[in-house]
Amino acid sequence: MSPSVLICDDSNMARKQVLRSLPEHWQDSVQTATNGLEALKILRGGSIDILFLDLTMPGIDGVGVLQGIQKLKLKLNVFVISADIQPEMQSKVKALGAKEFIRKPVKAEILVNYLQQHDLL
Amino acid sequence: MGKSSSLSASNNPTKRAVNEQVIKQINDQVANQLNTGILVVDNEFNIVVCNRFLKVHTDKDINKIIGHNIFLAFPELPEVWLTRKLNGCMQLNTPGFCSWEQRHHLFELPHTRPISTDSEFMAQNCTFLPINTDENGIHVCILIEDVTDVCHYQTKLQKTLDDLALMSRIDGLTQVYNRKHWQESLQQEYAKARRYNKSLSLIMLDLDYFKLLNDNFGHQCGDMVLIEVSALISSLLRVEDIFGRYGGEEFAIILPETNINGALELAQRVCKNVAAAALTYNEQTLNVTISLGVAELSKHETNYEELITLADKALYQAKHDGRNQVSSLTA
Amino acid sequence: MSEFNLTEDQLDCLQELINIAMGQASDQLARYLDTFVYLEVPSIESVDAQVLMSGLSEQKNTLAVVSQGFFGHEGIRGEALLVYQEEDSGRISDLLGYEPDEASQDEQLIDISSILTTTFLNVFARQIENQMSYNAPKLLPHVQSNLAEHVQHMPFTWDIALKVNINYQVTDYSFNCNMILLIPEKAITKIKLVLDRILADLS
Repeated sequence: MSPSVLICDDSNMARKQVLRSLPEHWQDSVQTATNGLEALKILRGGSIDILFLDLTMPGIDGVGVLQGIQKLKLKLNVFVISADIQPEMQSKVKALGAKEFIRKPVKAEILVNYLQQHDLL
Repeated sequence: MGKSSSLSASNNPTKRAVNEQVIKQINDQVANQLNTGILVVDNEFNIVVCNRFLKVHTDKDINKIIGHNIFLAFPELPEVWLTRKLNGCMQLNTPGFCSWEQRHHLFELPHTRPISTDSEFMAQNCTFLPINTDENGIHVCILIEDVTDVCHYQTKLQKTLDDLALMSRIDGLTQVYNRKHWQESLQQEYAKARRYNKSLSLIMLDLDYFKLLNDNFGHQCGDMVLIEVSALISSLLRVEDIFGRYGGEEFAIILPETNINGALELAQRVCKNVAAAALTYNEQTLNVTISLGVAELSKHETNYEELITLADKALYQAKHDGRNQVSSLTA
Repeated sequence: MSEFNLTEDQLDCLQELINIAMGQASDQLARYLDTFVYLEVPSIESVDAQVLMSGLSEQKNTLAVVSQGFFGHEGIRGEALLVYQEEDSGRISDLLGYEPDEASQDEQLIDISSILTTTFLNVFARQIENQMSYNAPKLLPHVQSNLAEHVQHMPFTWDIALKVNINYQVTDYSFNCNMILLIPEKAITKIKLVLDRILADLS
């Protein structure tokens, strides 16, 4: 059974890039959100297994979503996918519970490799 | 023919090696005939490549350049600055630049021009290019362009422009401001006084019996008097006062942030000093005096021309009252 | 007002490419300056050249503009203008860690401009499978009166500018500047083709 996936990014192109990098048989169970608020609304439902999260977004940003997840004590795998790649930012999001930090533009083989490392594939 | 030979070259390893050798020779010769300095350093700033340009323009032994640290080979280089530049270039993998306009030169190379410039060294534009090689990591190529001519003509041009700008404001004979510039200044001072509600006064002055002086002693004498009187008056003014030749033997002084009392006091001093000046022409003593009209800006005037009219009327009054004196209609 | 006439998808794609370029440039800059660079999403807009120039000329407290030409393959070329406000220029020496007397303020301004322009455009170019070369950066003299004149004398005609508002905030020092990319129409057409190619790959 394929996990339920949420992709949160304000860029349509970035969402498509992530979607395309995911295994074929996952495609049907993927939801998308264009900002942090939307993402948290979906996450509260509690059914999401994997979140691909952008950092720089209008309104509630990626860091805000990570803090929300901690507050709500949700159990899921978060992969941050960001253009802001400074080491400080990487350690910050990992401290907030992100499994991995993936730099944009996302590449399918790197994403798949991380999913395998975390036994999600 | 070119096509077939390149085809056979790619099939024949020995021939291809020869071609690469030829290309290397061409590259070397081009590099050595360029009128641009080429210097390549490794990531520890040791010189790897140095073309003929630098060898010709420095008297250095080539063995003291290649393989040596750039700061030892060229001790004149600013070490802190250049280290930062080279590191930035390697770390960011981006080109760096250094223009003669900010730094006249980096390398102390004598320039070869028969022209006199401010510096004994060649003016340079330098470019720093990151070079990625298969081995030994990143290098930086420093290109050194001789821009002595550009520097020379640009400096000359700038000086000419400055001179022109000054000339367009100065009266050729007396070296005080000409009427055009003086009037523009008055316009500005008028606007400033109105905006900040500051006082502003004006002195118009005229040499007494100047026509007679010209008729009796000639125009050369008249010119001398104009020059001497202008210089004398200039010496009595504050830096912020704006002194100009209004026309013929008529002059005008703008006195920013000065009320009528201050202006009258100055006018009196100018009047007395001119009358007391011992001017001679061909060993004859000249009695030169001036008449002055003073006006202060009040709330009634709606433009700067009205202030000129007021001072002009006062000047006429001073002439009418017997010359060699100061008059004011506003006090 | 002139427009790039970008579709919503093209604009989204361009914004994403610029975000990535800005992110990588910031990372390089942070490593170079050995500090953390706070990154704000750069806003991009296309502006009519005439409007842009009159706007810049009227801006009272604009202190300095540094201009640098760039050119890549396939006719992608243009000129980058880095526009600084007076209150920011004094912070540059702190930011770059220059020692007193190491470089004049003009030189510092030119240095930081060149670093911002070339790091950003190098990454941007790589994403659209291009490679840039650069002219030496120049500080424009007497900006207020000469900017419009400078732009008129550029070696290519253009009437559309891409304005990328960059806000660099560095730990301890806040530092703002605007990067304006002036791009001739031919180059814009090329960029659109590249954007379409990227979008086609995704659909």
